[in-house]
Amino acid sequence: MSAGLDLSLREQAAAIAAGDLDPTQLLEATLARIEERNPALNAVVATFPERSREMLAAAPRAPLFGVPVVIKDEWPLPWRAQRFGAAEMLAPAEPGESGPYRALRDAGAVVVGVANMHELGAGSTGNVSVYGPARNPWNRDRCPGGSSSGPAASVAARLVAGAVGADGVGSIRYPAAYCGLTGLKPTFGRSAMAGHHMAEVSTTIVSGALCADAADCRALDSVLFGEELAAGDPRGLRIGVIGGEVSEDVAPEVREACENAIEELRRETGGEVREIELPELAAATLATVLIANCESLGGVTPERLNRLDPELSPLGRGLLKYRVLVPAIATIKAERVRTMARQTLARIFEDVDVIACPTVPAVAPPLEAPVVELPSGILTADAANVRSGALANLTGIPAISVPVGSSEGLPVALQLQAAWGRDELLLDAAEALERANGRRWVEASPPALDAEPLEA
Amino acid sequence: MEASEHTDDFIPAALAAYGIEADEIELAVVRAAHQTLWPPILELLDLDTSDIPLERDPDLSQAPPSR
Repeated sequence: MSAGLDLSLREQAAAIAAGDLDPTQLLEATLARIEERNPALNAVVATFPERSREMLAAAPRAPLFGVPVVIKDEWPLPWRAQRFGAAEMLAPAEPGESGPYRALRDAGAVVVGVANMHELGAGSTGNVSVYGPARNPWNRDRCPGGSSSGPAASVAARLVAGAVGADGVGSIRYPAAYCGLTGLKPTFGRSAMAGHHMAEVSTTIVSGALCADAADCRALDSVLFGEELAAGDPRGLRIGVIGGEVSEDVAPEVREACENAIEELRRETGGEVREIELPELAAATLATVLIANCESLGGVTPERLNRLDPELSPLGRGLLKYRVLVPAIATIKAERVRTMARQTLARIFEDVDVIACPTVPAVAPPLEAPVVELPSGILTADAANVRSGALANLTGIPAISVPVGSSEGLPVALQLQAAWGRDELLLDAAEALERANGRRWVEASPPALDAEPLEA
Repeated sequence: MEASEHTDDFIPAALAAYGIEADEIELAVVRAAHQTLWPPILELLDLDTSDIPLERDPDLSQAPPSR
């Protein structure tokens, strides 16, 4: 008996509220499914059945009463400190009530597990983690995306219907794209951030939901935002399309699927497509990387770098040491670029409602060699993905990744970005896109799920 | 000589100047990161930003104040 496991997040909540689904049965079935499917995926790195049962027993009759969710290893729980996917963090970590935990608890949701993530949040692929890599349910030899690798793999494999991730440089949108999910990077400051080890210093990181579709993201993000993200009508949507490498240096099938999706969205909303120019994009991408990397260095000393945990990956150790070499003038100029990009975007959003481009330029790369082949040549997935993902983090605007196609049997995704505070519009636009394509892509399931149990 | 050609000398010397130790694998990672990021950093350094007023303590949840 599936006990509601394959219902959407909102369907689970509604069925429980109506008395048609027993939340205790749902919790136990969810824990059993994690035990059954997770060994092949490594999406969930910790479960705590007794804590989850206690959480359910104490849950208020609130919007997500009884709904199981997982949370990224970036957030502390009262009974478990975050590990940030790493053998060692550069900041103190201890158990506690993080903002997302409180929001979930107060909404009646049940945290059933901690989800894997890319080590130190420093990668778009999810192939490096102290727990070992999470695997993409669409093809377990492929990257699930990062850094919210486990949240995405958990939802794609239907371990749970919703997951909480975090996005500092695309870290919700990349895994949403690779795993065929919808993932919203909220406007900076709008979603719960308390308890994050960088909450006081980061100007790029936000919490956010990864779910199968936009309506589920709306439900879960409403909880994280602490306010109802009301649905609206995106009729007459003005869609901006950026030229250049972010739209053109893209795998042909990804480009075609995204161009088709933009046209479908235009038709569905009775809107229009306008070409826009964002000459600062390349500089903004670098600025984001420099700022995000340097904001984490407050507690770093050379002595500390000389005694890094040997279990930290060589890649992680090397990148931490490299960050010290970034010249101060570059980070100062990066802040100026941020100002410039924000001013340019403010002007652009007077003329368009959303900016559309592929979320990632190619489908999920192999775990063993996370590189992608683009018209310009072969690039690391990180170098390719950051081109489209960074701008929203640098400037604070919201962005959403929506599945819009398939290539090589793997999901393809479109990113939509909107002006500050227009998170609701992005959800409206994502739902319009779902209507336009008959929900074909949000309802697609990884083929391996047909042959359960998955073999490790 | 191209700036990137200084990498082999620059990386170990710069780390040593900070008193940071690195094994061969870490050095290879640092070199790779440097080779990837240094060309765009040089482009950034060439950018004259003197006429861009710094948005002091920007509220990233909002559009910048109109000027």
